[in-house]
Amino acid sequence: MVHMCTVVPISLTVGANRIVPTVAIPHPLGNPALNHEEEKELRRKLVEKALRALTVKVNGQTVFEDQ
Amino acid sequence: MKLEIGRIYIKDIQLGQETSVKEGVLTVDKEGLIAKLKEDERIKDVSLDVAKPGEKVRIIPVKDVIEPRVKIEGGNNGFPGVTSKQAQCGEGKTNVLYGAAVVTVGDVVGFQEGVIDMWGEGAKWTPFSKTYNLTVDISVVDGLTPHAHEETVRIAGLKAAEFVGLAGKDVTPDEVITYEMGSIFEETAKYPNLPKVLYAEMMITQGLLHDTYIYGVNAQTILPALLHPNEELDNAVISGNCVAACDKITTYQHQNNSVIEDLYAQHGKEINFLGCIMVPEHTTLAGKLRVSDYVLKLAKMLGADAVVISEEGYGNPDSDLLMICKKCEKAGIITQLITDECAGRDGMSQPLADTAQEAVAVVSGGNVSHVVTLPPADKIIGNAAAIAVLAGGWDGALLEDGTLMCELNAVIGSTSEIGFHNVTCRLY
Repeated sequence: MVHMCTVVPISLTVGANRIVPTVAIPHPLGNPALNHEEEKELRRKLVEKALRALTVKVNGQTVFEDQ
Repeated sequence: MKLEIGRIYIKDIQLGQETSVKEGVLTVDKEGLIAKLKEDERIKDVSLDVAKPGEKVRIIPVKDVIEPRVKIEGGNNGFPGVTSKQAQCGEGKTNVLYGAAVVTVGDVVGFQEGVIDMWGEGAKWTPFSKTYNLTVDISVVDGLTPHAHEETVRIAGLKAAEFVGLAGKDVTPDEVITYEMGSIFEETAKYPNLPKVLYAEMMITQGLLHDTYIYGVNAQTILPALLHPNEELDNAVISGNCVAACDKITTYQHQNNSVIEDLYAQHGKEINFLGCIMVPEHTTLAGKLRVSDYVLKLAKMLGADAVVISEEGYGNPDSDLLMICKKCEKAGIITQLITDECAGRDGMSQPLADTAQEAVAVVSGGNVSHVVTLPPADKIIGNAAAIAVLAGGWDGALLEDGTLMCELNAVIGSTSEIGFHNVTCRLY
């Protein structure tokens, strides 16, 4: 399982093993400041990061900060 | 800084043809106030009414509550930076119509406004069942965006409080309370052995109609800022929040912040009260990290021994609260937290979204999910059906006979995290 969330400390507290940090609480996977194309790219990158995180074996709680 | 708050005791309220206080009876010039508010062309209609303690009256949906006041000396009248020109708040003399409140009513975004019952079961839960309320129900012109709608109602409430407050201009107050504090260096020289205590007041500043304003500045845009406690007690801080009603800090509660009052009362006795840090609650992790670092830095610069931290709202701000707590405690600064609980209707769920070992001194304002049953009212000010769309209400919460079932979530000020409310703790 991978947990995509904005407030990583809460994700750590509740015990998620794979954590992918997201954008902001009202729009975890989007950003209204971007145009449609940029936002779609952002969304795709985050989802792909989450999918990659699912393929990684982890030993304990891991936050996937970078690509 | 020295502020004298003159309380004029209000014992009754009525609508009339002039605005005055005579023998404790507040009369509000109905047509005059309506005309004043309608100067804003975004306002289509204003409906004024009064609700008194004990009357079987329900006010719903409530947006904000504001205390009517007038500046007698120093600063500017009204809300500097918002309804009047910028001026320093917290100095001079301010007369307060003590016991009266302006309550703004009307749907804004269709959720997260609240309810005030003036009698019975409901009155037990909201502090604003004890005030003589002037209700200002505002409808706006068609086509306004929700943000413009919120701003219109926010400003109208403030203007109404200013208009009504003028009634106290030439009235001798029944009681005068002085709030005076010198510089931090002067106070520390006076009380060298008392622990230095800061107050960190977290404010909802999350956009989407969840904002707080200081001198008219949206606090979403600030780094944590140091305020003299007198400034908040003197109209510098304003609520622009359409959030869960139970623990949003209404403008009235900012004007009468219980934490500030209590810390002031102990200043020079048990503590040396250093001042307030106004702390924005951000929606990004970077924002939360930055703010908690910044509060710690200010606490260290000011040499604080302890920080009292109050939260506004629940859920994601729980993490801000605990970040500030952890960072301060690790730096050797004692913390005391004031929050409330979202613990489920049976009170058995985890009360906060986050937790920390360092959080050992925590005061709860109550459980926001507690369900109350409020009997039918004789008179509704506003729109009873609004409960279906309030946070803490649900479709079907309004029974056929007018009985209202809701979580405390929907009751204004019921679980206040600055302690301005009626709920208390009992030890078993």
